[in-house]
Amino acid sequence: MLPLSIKDDEYKPAKFSLFVKISGWFRSILADKTSRNLFFFLCLNLSFAFVELLFGIWTNSLGLISDSFHMFFDCTALLAGLAASVISRWRSNDSFSYGYVRAEVLAGFVNGLFLIFTAFFIFSEGVERALEPPDVNHERLLPVSIAGLLVNLVGIFVFQHGGHGHSHGDEGHGHSHSLFNGSVGHGHSHGGHGHSHGSKHGHDDHGHSHEGHGHSHEGHGHSHDDPHCHDDHSLTPGTGSSKQILQGVFLHIVADTLGSVGVIISAILMQKYDLMIADPICSMLIALLIGVSVVPLLRESIGILMQRTPSSLDHTLPECYQRVQQLQGVYNLQEPHFWTLCTDVHIGTLKLLVAPDADSRWILSQTHNIFTQVGVRQLYVQIDVAAM
Amino acid sequence: MACAPNRARLLCMLSLTFGFFIVEVVVSRVTSSLAMLSDSFHMLSDVIALIVALVAVRFAEKTQSTHKNTFGWIRAEVMGALVNAVFLTALCFTIILEAIERFTEPKEIEQPLVVITVGVLGLLVNLLGLCLFHGHAGGGGHGHSHGERKNGKVRRCETLEDGRSAAEETNNLVGDNNSPNSVNHDKKKADKSEMCPSDSLDLQINSSDPYEELDNGQDSASQLNMRGVFLHVLGDALGSVIVVINATIFTFVWKPCPPGITCENPCVDQLCAGPILNSSSAASNTPLHVAGPCWVLYLDPTLCIIMVFILLYTTYPLLKESALILLQTVPKQIDMHQLKARLQDLEGVLAVHELHIWLLAGSRIIATAHIKCQDPTSYMDVAKRIKDFFHNEGIHATTIQPEFVSMNSESRISLCELSCRTQCAPKLCCGSADAAKPPDGAAEPKKPCEAITPTVTSTTSAASLEIISESVEETSRPESVRGVESSL
Repeated sequence: MLPLSIKDDEYKPAKFSLFVKISGWFRSILADKTSRNLFFFLCLNLSFAFVELLFGIWTNSLGLISDSFHMFFDCTALLAGLAASVISRWRSNDSFSYGYVRAEVLAGFVNGLFLIFTAFFIFSEGVERALEPPDVNHERLLPVSIAGLLVNLVGIFVFQHGGHGHSHGDEGHGHSHSLFNGSVGHGHSHGGHGHSHGSKHGHDDHGHSHEGHGHSHEGHGHSHDDPHCHDDHSLTPGTGSSKQILQGVFLHIVADTLGSVGVIISAILMQKYDLMIADPICSMLIALLIGVSVVPLLRESIGILMQRTPSSLDHTLPECYQRVQQLQGVYNLQEPHFWTLCTDVHIGTLKLLVAPDADSRWILSQTHNIFTQVGVRQLYVQIDVAAM
Repeated sequence: MACAPNRARLLCMLSLTFGFFIVEVVVSRVTSSLAMLSDSFHMLSDVIALIVALVAVRFAEKTQSTHKNTFGWIRAEVMGALVNAVFLTALCFTIILEAIERFTEPKEIEQPLVVITVGVLGLLVNLLGLCLFHGHAGGGGHGHSHGERKNGKVRRCETLEDGRSAAEETNNLVGDNNSPNSVNHDKKKADKSEMCPSDSLDLQINSSDPYEELDNGQDSASQLNMRGVFLHVLGDALGSVIVVINATIFTFVWKPCPPGITCENPCVDQLCAGPILNSSSAASNTPLHVAGPCWVLYLDPTLCIIMVFILLYTTYPLLKESALILLQTVPKQIDMHQLKARLQDLEGVLAVHELHIWLLAGSRIIATAHIKCQDPTSYMDVAKRIKDFFHNEGIHATTIQPEFVSMNSESRISLCELSCRTQCAPKLCCGSADAAKPPDGAAEPKKPCEAITPTVTSTTSAASLEIISESVEETSRPESVRGVESSL
């Protein structure tokens, strides 16, 4: 049968259109609260930096130009955070079996590194200025730095919730356990939870809307579990998942605020008391403060990236090992490896040496029980049967 | 120690660079040249990069698993490489900023001769560093050809044997299965004790033979780290080259304003460098000196920007590679689809789920999977076959979780094998009997599961602890276990 029309647009493969791709990204950014905040703050920062740059060029003030460059530098940190929050939501594929969820940890780490670098840079500039004080033009610097301070205060206010992370406290955590357990199971289930799992609405409605769950009984051969570290942020942005990103961004904004405050203080000191040494000293103090504040973020992300045992499980794991070893038929528990994929998602592997007549299935299910209770979502238990 | 060559190089370079940094700081104070001071800070950043690499190497030597770090500290090398790459990128950014500042406000170089001397010295130090690390990063430093591979292996083995019991431990760590009843593995263990560890078990901490088993060109961890250091030293060398070129051209081309004579400097007139004697020069008869060609002042920033592009171009692969490793990507040489298909083709394997393969560091690949097989008795053979399969692929640390088909179920109903015993149970068909949880979505597929409906019993500690006892084992065991569970 001949087609009725010769228009074969619908039969053509989708053209690669840059516009489509970019608009896809925009939609993805605006969909989630965290990335929305990041995006708007990034725009605000960028525009302010441009204004400062143009103003500096117009008035020929080197201080303003370098300050605007500093703001551009901050924008890159925001950009990294934004990119990470978008990337970490992509689906897993053949090259990334766990999905891209680690991107947020990496972004937090890179942000921390940039912050340390910034602190080092500011410190070195402070030293240079202390040794050879340049001629700083104060009148132009003061209003601009006050404006910068206001912008950063906006940022602090917006990201404050996210910066500290644990706004939900324990109940959220408890919930995420039960929630995760639910989908953990699906981790090992075979009929294939075609688990293309939307976000786990862990926090908004406690009624567990599991879209993925109910109707996933088709017999899919494989199920790519998408570990979404990433709850719907309707209630509390930055709980759990994007914690790393937001913490990095928050620290960056705080650093910038401190910079503005330092500039203001030193400008006032220099104008009122003619204390030229105030500028470098302020810079050095600020650099030290930034360095100190970034240490917790770095420690946490380094721990995750080094596949360290999750610190939240440090106390509970030995107990679990004991319980497993007390199961009937289990001789020994060997080579336990537990690590964090991203915030609150823990993965573990271990090997059990069992007696030949032990019931492997039962042992497996009990082991899974034991570890699901402490929040390890994905567990791989290898059963080695001991020789007679 | 097996890692001595690396550490020795790093320490040597570190001491040289640090010494040079001190020299530059002193010279900058003596000549009160700000440019020298900022260049010395660049040297300091180089020192920091070397320290990072050294720390990473030190950490990665501790490959024993500890309680907190069950994989050992192997990943430190990859992290060191990433830190160095990020550091380099940030440095490039800074250099661009400084170059732009120079464009808007050109500065003359004071005392170019001193600058040339110090620049040449710095270049020498950096060239030495390049030679030290190029062999490492390029892989050809020891002149090993493939024919000598065996030799290299044996040699390294000896260094391994006499020094490093840690290597043995990590061989265990790598997860060669301890199942004592499988012949293959016993043989492998015996092999290990007498000969060199087989290919991918080698940890490449002393990467004297970088291309040993990495046929696919995948860099090992310490390779990555050394590459980061090499790039840093390269950047510094380029910087020194630029400094020397710039100062030389400046000395020969630039005609400075001699002191004491009225002279006009057209290049540096932006920030009020001095009164421009336009009108007076026309009026008076004194010879007017004009400071040298202005383009000389713009040479420096231009060269810097070119150098930045070169650096970024060479740093990007390193950055990408270490970032990908840290993102738990599947290693490049492994084709997931194909591997999964072949795995499923193995005899006795009914299905494969949750296959995850990732690179720990270097050449240590770790794989985990759930394999569904028929019953526990046939499981051990299947396990052996699967392990062999993975060994052939070069993956030696595997954890395979078996899942058994329920005896009284057909293939499509095998939904509630092992998986969600506790929480998702009510949400699946099998847990339908549980009234404690609101069965969202459990409404639909209740029927097919009737055949295996295990009895779901909820204990007194209801919400988090449920045990589903299979119909096969409705013995007294569940009770006793339940007792154990709830007491804990």
